[in-house]
This record gives sequence, structure tokens and C-alpha cells, in this order.
Amino acid sequence: MNFIDWFLDRFRLKSAHRGIFEREIPEGINYFYCFGGIAFTAFLLCLISGLFLSLHYVPSEKEAYLSIQRIHEEVYLGKLIRGIHKWSANVLIISIIIHSIRVFITKSYRPPRELNWIVGVIIFFIVMLEGFTGYLLPWDQKAYWATVVGTNIIGSIPFIGESLLLIIRGGYEVTGVTLARFYSFHVLWFPLILAILLWAHFHMIKKLGISKPL
Amino acid sequence: MKKKFYPDYLIEILFFAIVTFEIILLLAFLFPPVIGREIDFTSAYQPRPEWYYLWIFWLLRFFSTDMVFIGGIVIPLFIVGFLIFIPWIERYIGWKLTALLGLLFFLIFLIGTLVEVFYQ
Repeated sequence: MNFIDWFLDRFRLKSAHRGIFEREIPEGINYFYCFGGIAFTAFLLCLISGLFLSLHYVPSEKEAYLSIQRIHEEVYLGKLIRGIHKWSANVLIISIIIHSIRVFITKSYRPPRELNWIVGVIIFFIVMLEGFTGYLLPWDQKAYWATVVGTNIIGSIPFIGESLLLIIRGGYEVTGVTLARFYSFHVLWFPLILAILLWAHFHMIKKLGISKPL
Repeated sequence: MKKKFYPDYLIEILFFAIVTFEIILLLAFLFPPVIGREIDFTSAYQPRPEWYYLWIFWLLRFFSTDMVFIGGIVIPLFIVGFLIFIPWIERYIGWKLTALLGLLFFLIFLIGTLVEVFYQ
């Protein structure tokens, strides 16, 4: 079986469609099976609160710090929405970790679900990058220096480090260019990739069903 | 009796979604976000990352300045690679050995996080 055949088989594009209400639920599943759903709930809360934050946040060197202050002091429920964004991000990462451990222990990554496992690992990776890029956006002391230290690590890679650093920072220093770049990654690139990967993740669950507990 | 998606499972999903929302709301009220200090460009400052990056921060301590990419990039990417290939690794070395390797990486994460939280 070559790679394309394997991919098409695991992705189950051709199998028959089943209505969501007719799906079978295997017997003997426990409450650890909830953490995927909890992670998705936290993701949706991140998305919605993030959409509202983006109405008020200004990703520029001069305005970023001031706009965070405005969100806290002037925007109606602004501080609460920022709190929801922060805490749903934390809940998201914890529940993804528990979800991965559950999938590993119940051996649900085994064929025919190995492609779904890979998609899940990539989702986890992108969520971690969301955390890294989002950390710079408040443009305060911690955010700035954490990004300087974090991107310095990338710069220390032999041969390609310097070019990578220039791509990520948009220059030799962490400046407003870096801020604009991280903002773009945080609110456009990564959420778009996540949306596509999550669709694939749920598509495969729908086609393959929930794995039977051992 | 066998559980059906509708209504048994759907009720449970909605229940847990609402509880998740409530927990997040509670955390947001109890521990509201704070505004950090303004950036001081004049002197370098050693910041601490979010808790989910603390284990990498801990790994960095074992490498000199020009080798930090091993702790910060190579080891994390190796772990991601290990996770991606688990379905095939397990086929060759068996579930128990794979679980042992996974536990080893999880312990790196756990020990690194705990050391950074409590001893630094």
C-alpha cells in the first residue's frame, strides 16, 4: 500500500456518510473520554474571546500596551474577556495533555486511527505556538524579554539560525515588526491551520467512530 | 441498555461543555489578568515563560549559550517526532516499551516544570 492509498483509506473520504444522531457509542467508555470535548470547548472559548479582544487590541509598538490598558479600564467586560482568553488557553493545554494520555493508554492511536493521532499531535504543536506568539502581544516587560530569549534560542541553531531569526523577528531586534508578525501568526495563520486540522480530526472520528475500550 | 448518541451522549457532552465554561469563568473572576510593567529596553531582564514552557526553560540550563538550541529546539522536536511515530514505534517495540519511553518524556516535562515552579 503506497502513501496516497494509505492516506485516502485512513481519511475515509469515500465511506458512507452517517448522520450524527445515528452514531454508535461503544460500551464501557469512561469519563476520561470527555477531555477531547473539553479541549474543544476551551478552544471555542479562546476563539470567541479572542475575536472580541481583537476588536480593541492594536498591534503596534506605540499602541499595544495602551490598548491593553484600555481593554482593562474602558472596554465593557474587557478585563473579564481577557481573563477568559487567558484561562481557556490554560484549560485547553491541560485538557489536550490529558486527552493524549487517554488516547495512548486506551491504544486508540492504532490502525485505522493512526492518521488521526498524527493530526492530533500537530494540533497540540500549533496550540503551543499559539501560546508562544500570544505571549508577546501585551507588549510589556515580561512579554518583550520572553520573546527576546525565546527567539534567541532559534538564532543559536547552526547554519540556518540567523536566517530563521530574521524571518521570525523581521529584523535583528524584537521590534514593532516582530509584534505585527506575531499578531498575524496568532490571529490568522495558526487559527486557520487549527480550524482545518480540527475539521480533519472530527471528520475522521465521525467516519471511524469512537474506538472500543479494551 | 446500550447508550445512543442522542439523547444519552449529547446530554453528557453539553453538561461537560457547560461545566468547562463555568470553571473558566470562575478562574477568570478569581484570578483576573494583570497588566505587566512597561518595557525597560535598557537592561536585559530574565523573564519566566508560561507554565507549559517551563520544562524547556529548565532544559536550557544544561546548555551553554551557543548550544541552547539543543535544549530549546532539538529535544522538544525529538519528542514531537516520537509522539507522531508512536503508532509505528509501538508495532516494533511493543506497547510497554513505548509507554516507558512516553513516561520518560512526560517525567522530563513534569520534573522540569516542578523544579522551575518550586526551586527557582
